[in-house]
Amino acid sequence: MMSKTKRVLALVLTVLMAISMLAACGEPQPSSTSTTPSTSASASPSSSADPGTTSNVPAEKVTIKWMVIGSNVTDDSDVMAAIEEYLADKINIKLEMIWGTWAAADSERLLTSLNAGDPIDIYFTCSWTPNEYSAMARRGAFVRLDDPNNNLLEKYAPGLFESLHPDLARAAVTDGAAGKGIYAIPTYKEVGQQYTWDLNMTLLKKYGFTVDDITNYYEFGPILEKVKQGEGKDFYPLNAEPFVMERMANSNDLVDAESLLAFYFDPVDPSKSEAVIKARYLTPEFEKYCKKTREYFLAGYINPAAANGQTMGPARTAAQDAAAYAIGTEVYYPGYEYQTGPKRGIEVVYKPAQAGIISTTSARGSMNGISTASKNPDRALQFLYLLNTDPKLFTMLGYGLEGVHYAKFSDDEVIRNPEAQAVYNPWLAGLGKLTQLPRIKGQAPWSVFEDFNKACKGTPILGFAFDTTPVKDQYAALVNVRKEFADALTAGAVDPDTELPKFIEKLKANGMEEVLAEANRQLEEWKAAQ
Amino acid sequence: MSRALTTKGPSIKIKSTKKTLLLTSMALPGIVWLFLFRYLPMFGIILSFKDYRIYYQKPSLINNIIHSEWVGLKNFRFLFVTTDAWIMVRNTIGYNALWIVLSLVISVSFAIMLNEITSKFIAKTYQTMMFFPYFLSWVVVSYFVFAFLSQDKGLISHMQQNAGVPVTEWYHDPKPWPYILTIAYLWKNLGYACVLYLAAITGIDASQYEAARIDGANKWQQVIYVTLPHLKTMIIIIFIMNVGKIFNADFGLFYSVPMDSGPLFPATQVVDTYVYRALRNMGEIGMSSAAGLFQNVVGFICIMVANTITRKVSPESSLF
Amino acid sequence: MYRNTMAIKKKSARLGAVSVPAEILFHIIIGGFGLMCFIPFIFTIIISFTSEKSIAVNGFSFFPEEWSLNAYKYLFERARQVAFSTVSSVISTSVGTVFSVLICVLYSYAMFRKDYKLRQFITFFSFFTMMFGGGLTATYMVSKNLLGLYNNYWALIVPLLVNPFNFIIMRTFYQSSVPDALIESAFIDGSGEYRTLFQIVLPISLPGIATIALFNMIAYWNEWFIGMLYIDKSKLMPLQLLLVKMQQEAEFVAQNSGKIGSISAHMGPVPTESLRMALVVIIVIPIAFAYPFFQRYIISGLTIGAVKG
Repeated sequence: MMSKTKRVLALVLTVLMAISMLAACGEPQPSSTSTTPSTSASASPSSSADPGTTSNVPAEKVTIKWMVIGSNVTDDSDVMAAIEEYLADKINIKLEMIWGTWAAADSERLLTSLNAGDPIDIYFTCSWTPNEYSAMARRGAFVRLDDPNNNLLEKYAPGLFESLHPDLARAAVTDGAAGKGIYAIPTYKEVGQQYTWDLNMTLLKKYGFTVDDITNYYEFGPILEKVKQGEGKDFYPLNAEPFVMERMANSNDLVDAESLLAFYFDPVDPSKSEAVIKARYLTPEFEKYCKKTREYFLAGYINPAAANGQTMGPARTAAQDAAAYAIGTEVYYPGYEYQTGPKRGIEVVYKPAQAGIISTTSARGSMNGISTASKNPDRALQFLYLLNTDPKLFTMLGYGLEGVHYAKFSDDEVIRNPEAQAVYNPWLAGLGKLTQLPRIKGQAPWSVFEDFNKACKGTPILGFAFDTTPVKDQYAALVNVRKEFADALTAGAVDPDTELPKFIEKLKANGMEEVLAEANRQLEEWKAAQ
Repeated sequence: MSRALTTKGPSIKIKSTKKTLLLTSMALPGIVWLFLFRYLPMFGIILSFKDYRIYYQKPSLINNIIHSEWVGLKNFRFLFVTTDAWIMVRNTIGYNALWIVLSLVISVSFAIMLNEITSKFIAKTYQTMMFFPYFLSWVVVSYFVFAFLSQDKGLISHMQQNAGVPVTEWYHDPKPWPYILTIAYLWKNLGYACVLYLAAITGIDASQYEAARIDGANKWQQVIYVTLPHLKTMIIIIFIMNVGKIFNADFGLFYSVPMDSGPLFPATQVVDTYVYRALRNMGEIGMSSAAGLFQNVVGFICIMVANTITRKVSPESSLF
Repeated sequence: MYRNTMAIKKKSARLGAVSVPAEILFHIIIGGFGLMCFIPFIFTIIISFTSEKSIAVNGFSFFPEEWSLNAYKYLFERARQVAFSTVSSVISTSVGTVFSVLICVLYSYAMFRKDYKLRQFITFFSFFTMMFGGGLTATYMVSKNLLGLYNNYWALIVPLLVNPFNFIIMRTFYQSSVPDALIESAFIDGSGEYRTLFQIVLPISLPGIATIALFNMIAYWNEWFIGMLYIDKSKLMPLQLLLVKMQQEAEFVAQNSGKIGSISAHMGPVPTESLRMALVVIIVIPIAFAYPFFQRYIISGLTIGAVKG
């Protein structure tokens, strides 16, 4: 029944296409598109030998399905139709998007699809969701793109990696099911990661502080005290994401998704750091941080809601929106102050806590892999290549249609239509090379973005990803131990003198040291292979 | 009935075959569905014993499973190696056992009380109100609980502040949580459980009460001698089925309502939350199906034991 | 005449009732619990009308400082999606309830009949699936890729058609309200199996059927997981899925914002708490209105027995 419908549909489509192409032949061709498809709509490859066409546009139209997350799209019919039309004489595919949102349900859906071998061609992947890139590549979910026997990259995406930031290419190499190589196309967004203090300058100035006064986490005390005194009992001057604040205070970065391990980097030149992994919660630095934070918490600088993963987010956002904070934490996004300052009605300055780093987590922040279940991996790659090199296509997919979803403001600035955006709002950084887009009016120019990427430095362990499989039993237990203690400790909500020893003891009892040893063993192995 | 069947000749046999066919045709839609949606996917159980890999040369779920490596019981190990194993087993079984009994006793008494309320309109109003919590998800419920217990804005914290009492750190102190969870569970599920017993009471033949009254039974005796015996089968069936879920905890209740708060784990960690947290970022479907299988096997054993006992004591109330 | 019957009714009702103090006690217990259950819903409504600023400053409160219609305005702006979702939920719930009740009534009747040869088999056949299943991935693959449940109404309806728990409940209802003698006498009267079920058994099993129908209806209405797995078309997305996604989005962003910079930069506004509550209100109201329809059969006067003496 299904296949019958499909066959009928295919027949109708073929006829329609044939008719439309015949009609197109009668019209004068624009000079730039001299490579129109051959008049034959037949699937037979021999038809490309038709005299008069030197086209390498595939004759058979295929549908490429792409599953992403982070987007808010409820109606994409007009955009998809426009893209299909635009691509007809280029790579002749029909794009079908499956727009996931940030909801955990959508990430779960994506993982289920991947595991079940769904006929979907491209999947979003990255370093920080359950379908983590290196794990999925190892499991065989993605096609190796630089396979020596069938180098798709060379064939269909020549020069793509060369046009990206060199560290993106470096981080894209992983030990996958088909050997060490590239299994996904990274999107070009901010390559590095910079931890910054989010400063409410309007308020800080009121109490006579300047940007230069904000230096080291361990010396915030007097500043916070003065603000707290001035603003009153219900005001929490330190608006923190505690687990980020710990990284900022001690200049370390994530190694694993659950944050059990830490990589301490040189705050001035991260590329000169010592390539060794530490157990985050067993270090003396962590203890020092906990003690200081406890001090701040007891003095009333930190909102008690920050001590809990569920309540922290809403409380932090509320304080930001109400500009009810003095110092906050932010994982910086280039030009973010252009958005937040006007929104909060204050002067916002993001002061770097250290130099920006390029880590495996940040460089694999957003990628798209071609599924091994795809029937047309070559066409899918052709599409991704085009998307990353053709600003017109990317703008169409990212912003929608001119005159409907957005309007041109100037040559390189657009204004998005809020009504259309309510039904069509993809997560741009999940799709492709961001800098191709005309910027939204008021947004920082792309030069800010490029400068940021240039300023960030790769760490010595860039490209290394910890594989938890050899120690997965211990890891599973440790994740739960971490959750039991870390949230409250990092926010200063419990006494480190009593709770930290308990935490450390329980971590050790559940195999923290084995996990650490395994991580460093893997790291040595990885270094040797470089 | 069976006597009537055996004493008569072949025509009855034909009738009996016809009856079997007709009754089978009634069960058929259910049988087909169960086969397609429950039995057909059961090959997935194999995943619990495999190190799941996608067979990248030709991926499909079947191929993936075939080409994945057997790992024996390794996928189950993570449930036992943790130092929390005892806590989560104790919490899961403890809460479930307590709640099975509590909700049974309370919902049956509520149903009987509701049935005795003279004004049917008021009874219906109460009953409708009791049902509302069932429509609210645990996430929404967790907002309400938070509205009461939040350390700086909670209603209870405000009251404590006004009374000059030190504010309880509800989300850091596990001691009150067995009570909070029990209240939340009963609050949400009683209305639902009550409906079952109410409907069963409604189905009782009025003449039975009349007969009891004529025999001089007072209201209380009527409940003991007519209502409860009539509810017996339903009570036992519900009991057995709940026993089968004794190793499965209501995830939302234990995860969302305590706001996933770490210091509360001694009171809130159950098998389901442990597994969820452990595997959330690992994507190991072999381990997650192993956990599910283990829970079901434990439940299955419990239910078989409960059913066997029931069959000995009261055969007409057993599950099968 | 009318007055007369009323008087008799009242009198007879009082006659079989418990003592007045006992009834007052019942009112206090049940009524108190009922209120405890209902007040949070009122709270939901209040929060949905509370301004975000009030929530940020004071938390949830029964008497908010500042009221606001913003949440409903936001929903109204997205009226198209909310309307589509409502239609989808209503269609799948109503069609699903009818079919699932029908399947349940038939299957459990066969399970109920002691003289049915395959009784043990079909009971165990359904019970077993209550305990064991193939897991998410395998079920997903079979349903979607083998049976074609994807992006259509069937995908929202078929996966919930059968619930072995309800089969057993319904069988128990038959057991307690249908005497064996009744079926026997129908058999002797020459009634066919289907006629016995539909004309004799079902009318006296109405409370049970209404209960099962209620359970099924709620199960369909509250379902979002199925929608998440098998629905990618936003037109078919059920209301509950819309709500769950809004709730999860807020949580996800909070959990991951420390891992990657551009999440918060690219995020649209996170659905606010009052918005989520407004959606809860929209979801609960229709089903609350449908509820009394079923309740009629669950609470009613005592039934007069079908088998005399």
